[in-house]
Amino acid sequence: MTEPSVSPAPTHPADPLEPWPDAVAWRPVSPKLITVELINRAIWVVILLAGLTVGWALTGTGWWFAGMAAVVLFAVYRSFVTVRAVRAWGYAERDSDLLVRHGLLIRRLSIVPYARMQYVDVTAGPLERAFGLATVQLHTAAAASDARIPGLPPEEASRLRDKLTALGEDRAEGL
Amino acid sequence: MTSTDAPTHPEPAPAPPGEEPRRRLHPLSPLLQGAKSIVVIAAALSWQTLGQVGPGRFALVVLALAVGVVVLSVISWLNTGYHVVGRELRIQDGLLWRRNRAIPLERLQAVELRRPLLAQLTGLAELRLEVVGGGKTEAPLAYLSVRDAAALRERLLALAGHASAPAATAATAPQQQSFLVRVRNTDVLIAQLLTPQAFFIPFGVAFVVFQFLIEGTWGFVALASTFTAMAGVLLQPIRRVLQDWNFRLARDADGRLQVSFGLLETRSQVVPLHRVQAITATWPLLWRPKGWLHLRLDIAGYAGPQSGDDKGNDRLLPVGDFWTARALAWDVLPGVDLMALPTTPPPDRARWFHPFALRRMGAGLTDQVFVSRWGILTRQVSVVPYARLQSVRVVQGPLQRLLGLATVYADTAGGRSGSARDRDLAEAWALAEQLAIRSQLARGAATPRDTITPPTDAVAAVPAAAGEAAVPAATGEAAVPAAEDEAWRQPSEGPRPAGPGEQPPGAGTPPAGRP
Repeated sequence: MTEPSVSPAPTHPADPLEPWPDAVAWRPVSPKLITVELINRAIWVVILLAGLTVGWALTGTGWWFAGMAAVVLFAVYRSFVTVRAVRAWGYAERDSDLLVRHGLLIRRLSIVPYARMQYVDVTAGPLERAFGLATVQLHTAAAASDARIPGLPPEEASRLRDKLTALGEDRAEGL
Repeated sequence: MTSTDAPTHPEPAPAPPGEEPRRRLHPLSPLLQGAKSIVVIAAALSWQTLGQVGPGRFALVVLALAVGVVVLSVISWLNTGYHVVGRELRIQDGLLWRRNRAIPLERLQAVELRRPLLAQLTGLAELRLEVVGGGKTEAPLAYLSVRDAAALRERLLALAGHASAPAATAATAPQQQSFLVRVRNTDVLIAQLLTPQAFFIPFGVAFVVFQFLIEGTWGFVALASTFTAMAGVLLQPIRRVLQDWNFRLARDADGRLQVSFGLLETRSQVVPLHRVQAITATWPLLWRPKGWLHLRLDIAGYAGPQSGDDKGNDRLLPVGDFWTARALAWDVLPGVDLMALPTTPPPDRARWFHPFALRRMGAGLTDQVFVSRWGILTRQVSVVPYARLQSVRVVQGPLQRLLGLATVYADTAGGRSGSARDRDLAEAWALAEQLAIRSQLARGAATPRDTITPPTDAVAAVPAAAGEAAVPAATGEAAVPAAEDEAWRQPSEGPRPAGPGEQPPGAGTPPAGRP
């Protein structure tokens, strides 16, 4: 196949996480999200380890230790990934649409026009609240649309929510 | 069709002063509901029970249950009512848990009038409203008399239209609908014989007969249960024939699509054209000698692809030749020509993912729609108008990253989304950017007409990669009217791009699909 003869932007980077770097100002999510995610994972690891310990106490075979080691190793590996994954989250507000990018293994970028917004969700779990974070999610009429921004400070979350709602009302098209 | 009778006594369409009285469903509806549940009960009790209990007591049990159901239905009928308030349809129902639903009519996607066999015999109809945001049909009103149902449908659609619409429709109420397509029943029959399932039916029957010959028992119950079991799998073609029987597609005075079909259960749907989210054309393998294809229509509110095929909610053309389909696609999405949909395949290195299908895949942008095609045995093309795009996504999996590929999805509210799979990464970005820009332009197309031409530099990027069949997309189509109300009404007069070398037999207004 021939390469596209007219490249849309000459300085186009091949980095899927940074499309249109000159035109779009990406904003990161709060690094505190790393802590939240790590604590979340730690809780699960503790639960799993407790279960495995109970299993070991009941049966007494050494295989349970292998399971524990696997859990710990996987958790450590995932923690490294988490750090990078949180840094990979980003969003940008353009004139008429919201961009959200995330994911390391499977990289995703969503472009959601404000006019298509059906409603905005702002949620904050107990752990997120403890660290002063919130999640904003934009819903459109298409179920496949995927515009979720976790790890926002509450004031940023409510600013975004208000802005999205205002813009959505402004240009409401719905369907 | 009786269902398209003109509303003989048009009610005042704008919001009536004060509360309109609540109206009841037709008094026969409890009986029909009861009759429906008799079937359900009989099926639930199964043939097995019939064999054990004997026909007499079986009938008694069914009857007792049915009477109970009818009594319940009568009570619930007494509690059910509907009325139109302003631009809302309000429905009250429920026996123990009262439910009060208000359906905002500006969200109305499509209205369907459905008449099962019993309802046809009694002159009743069920009115179903499709609203966004529900896997299932939101408000079935079962049953109304056909005239009431048709009148209510007209009224709801008029209210659902633009604010100025009611006055206009009241003036032009004498229906001047024009037929677009009438599918011959023999075509439907042949088309369903040319499906894999139909090819298996002889084997299935032979198997059953063989089994009985060996076992030597020809009991009624055994026979009936075997056939019931077979019917579920093998008789799908027959169901399709019954559903697609008498398929007719027309356009009513307001430019809405009127689809009616069905033999045992006739259904007639009315879909405003601006509610069409996408069109998919499919060329099944076995239909290829005939040159046939079928067209599907995506409408928000209908269930997604998982149940879409069997319910048959989404058909635009159950079977037809290419020229019919082409004329129809032009009517539904003016400016979309099934012949001039240039697509470019993914780069060669995507062959790792699609060793055979690569040449059959592709994606492209025309000036109104996003086109994607895929499939080698069953070829499909989906067409998503920019104006209907809900969001754009770019997804890159780990294997794709190794090859520098990415997939672009164009999401619509219809459940399916157009996708350009495994494109070159830079091209994917350009594509996503273009989709975003063009959907924005298409959305705003109602007011600023001059800005419609998208920026040309990046547009060139995608068609420029075209190796073959690159019909010049950007040049000749600027004259095609954009999605606007007048443009919907006079679809076929526009400059219709003719395919290379071939000319449709009836390129003008009445398409060639009429028998």
